[in-house]
Amino acid sequence: MIEKPTTTYRKRIAIAAALSVAAFALVGLRLVDVSILHGNFSGGAVATDKPLRSRADLLDRDGRLLARDLPVYDLYARPHALVDKARAAKELSSVTGSSQLRLNRVFDSTRNYVLVARQITPDQHDAVMHLGLPGLDFQRAAKRYYPAGRAAAQVIGVTDPDGNGVSGLELGLDKQLRGGEAGEGATTSLDMRIEYILAHELRLAKEEYNAKAAGGIVMNVDTGEVIAMTSLPDFDPNVRKRMHGDSSRNIMVQDVYELGSVFKIFAFALAMEDHTIGLDDQLPIGRGFKIGKWTIREAERMPAFLSARDILAQSSNAGTAQIALRSGPVRQKAFLTSLGLLSSVKSEVPEIAYPLYPARWGQIETATIGFGHGISVSPLSFVTAAAEVVNGGRKLTPTFLKRDGDARGEQIIKPETSQTMRSLLRYVVTNGTGKSADVPGYDVGGKTGSAEKPVNGRYISGKLITSFCAVFPINNPQYVVFVLLDEPGGPKARGVFALAGHTAAPLAGRVVARIAPILGVPRQPVLADAKENT
Amino acid sequence: MVRILNFICVALAGFSCLTLYHVSERTRIAREELTVVNHQIVAERNLTNVLEAEWARVAEPSRIQQLAQQQLGLDDRSSAQLASLELLPRRGEAAAPLATTPLRNASDVVPVKPRNPNIHSVSARTGT
Repeated sequence: MIEKPTTTYRKRIAIAAALSVAAFALVGLRLVDVSILHGNFSGGAVATDKPLRSRADLLDRDGRLLARDLPVYDLYARPHALVDKARAAKELSSVTGSSQLRLNRVFDSTRNYVLVARQITPDQHDAVMHLGLPGLDFQRAAKRYYPAGRAAAQVIGVTDPDGNGVSGLELGLDKQLRGGEAGEGATTSLDMRIEYILAHELRLAKEEYNAKAAGGIVMNVDTGEVIAMTSLPDFDPNVRKRMHGDSSRNIMVQDVYELGSVFKIFAFALAMEDHTIGLDDQLPIGRGFKIGKWTIREAERMPAFLSARDILAQSSNAGTAQIALRSGPVRQKAFLTSLGLLSSVKSEVPEIAYPLYPARWGQIETATIGFGHGISVSPLSFVTAAAEVVNGGRKLTPTFLKRDGDARGEQIIKPETSQTMRSLLRYVVTNGTGKSADVPGYDVGGKTGSAEKPVNGRYISGKLITSFCAVFPINNPQYVVFVLLDEPGGPKARGVFALAGHTAAPLAGRVVARIAPILGVPRQPVLADAKENT
Repeated sequence: MVRILNFICVALAGFSCLTLYHVSERTRIAREELTVVNHQIVAERNLTNVLEAEWARVAEPSRIQQLAQQQLGLDDRSSAQLASLELLPRRGEAAAPLATTPLRNASDVVPVKPRNPNIHSVSARTGT
């Protein structure tokens, strides 16, 4: 009777002891596991700082930096902690560049926490630290920096002080750039070497001809990539305040122009597509072409008759009007629609322009649109359509992001038509108004365009938009170069010398001459007995 | 038996405490070291970012061209002055065709007239 409880207690103690031993053994095993077997602490639970890049980089097609967030500081102060507020305002003003008047005002206010300066650089941060002032707080922030400065400023765009994209690719790719991790970035289609050359030549030409504005586009005809785009006047994206004469407007995508004779490319492409005329067919030019009560005249004196080929080469308005009328309004409108000229161009750049064309598309409109009047399109829209004409006749979507491989879409023009148009554009350069755009070895084809600017419903003869659309190498086109000058004038561009053949064409030639070797375009031998590609 | 078990348990508890303290201390030190290293990495990356941006600025094409002109006397060449390798004469062969043949297009004449000194004229003028 006495032993039974003792045995029971012992059993219970033994069980409890066994459980304790097992528990300690488990803890011990875990300790061995943690400390010896897996002794290298991974630190996975430790929060790691990320580099201060809240927004991903923008890069050009070769990885060159276009935009990057750099570390800066926002400086705040607690005024009640400042011993000598006037002295603090003076010293902080001299170091950060903030207005001393404003600092005096905010330091004397009743607010507990005031902003002294935003986006001060690390150097300024160190200088402020050396002041030894109490009651200052630094908050880390980021400032968007554009190493290329003014180059392609409108295309790249800018951000606001809070890092939100407000224009250009900064806005168009905002979601992608915000979600990007450090080290990642959006690779654009831009080539900053080409961008520099285009901008440089346009700047020289704008100054030489005293033009109000100038712009240019270089596009790959197989991928639709915009290799370079310049709009002058431009601006410095690193300076928030705009200088006098600067402009953040991208005239290549935001403005529409009556481009004039460069539009004849499409009238001829349609005529070749539908076989409404042969290249050697003669048409009367003489003193103009009468249609209704209007007479279509030429910018320069023309012979009585010209072949269709020479109508394009000499840029005859009367001849092109007759060719356009053979296609008719319905077909012409459908053709321009298929080329995308009657709708706005969508790309990664958010700024767009809507084309202007007549609501009533009759015979007169068909004739004038044939030579590029009565219809206004953005230069980007025009370049895309021109690329479609020469790239074998296939649809193209312009892009500012790098693409690999052929991105041509559906067939909209027969390949034979595209081939004929290439020959015609080469003929314009070898025998027509585009002679000064030729670059030996690169076989440039192209078309000039000189359009009088409409002001209050009337065309002003002295105010021109001159442009040139160059395609090279014409046998196997790779790139379209389009340049535009708004109101070229001055002593070097008076009268006929203001026309595109004397202003825009040589400008395009200079651009091609400089960019072709960089783009690796195969160069043809330059020999006296070489056959012209006509 | 119970005493032995108790002793073992106490000993294990003591050992566990010591080991736990040791591991905890090592963890704390490792965490601090990790924080320092992470800060260093971030600082280095930020510095690298700044230097890359600085490099992009100093290696900008306009600056390179300006330096090439000023320091090396280099300039753009006309396309007619460029040639592909197959056009160059091999050893023992006659002069390359380019050396003796007139240019196909007269438009390749390169006018070199001084312009606005503020803007450097560097292009090969192929037009008229």
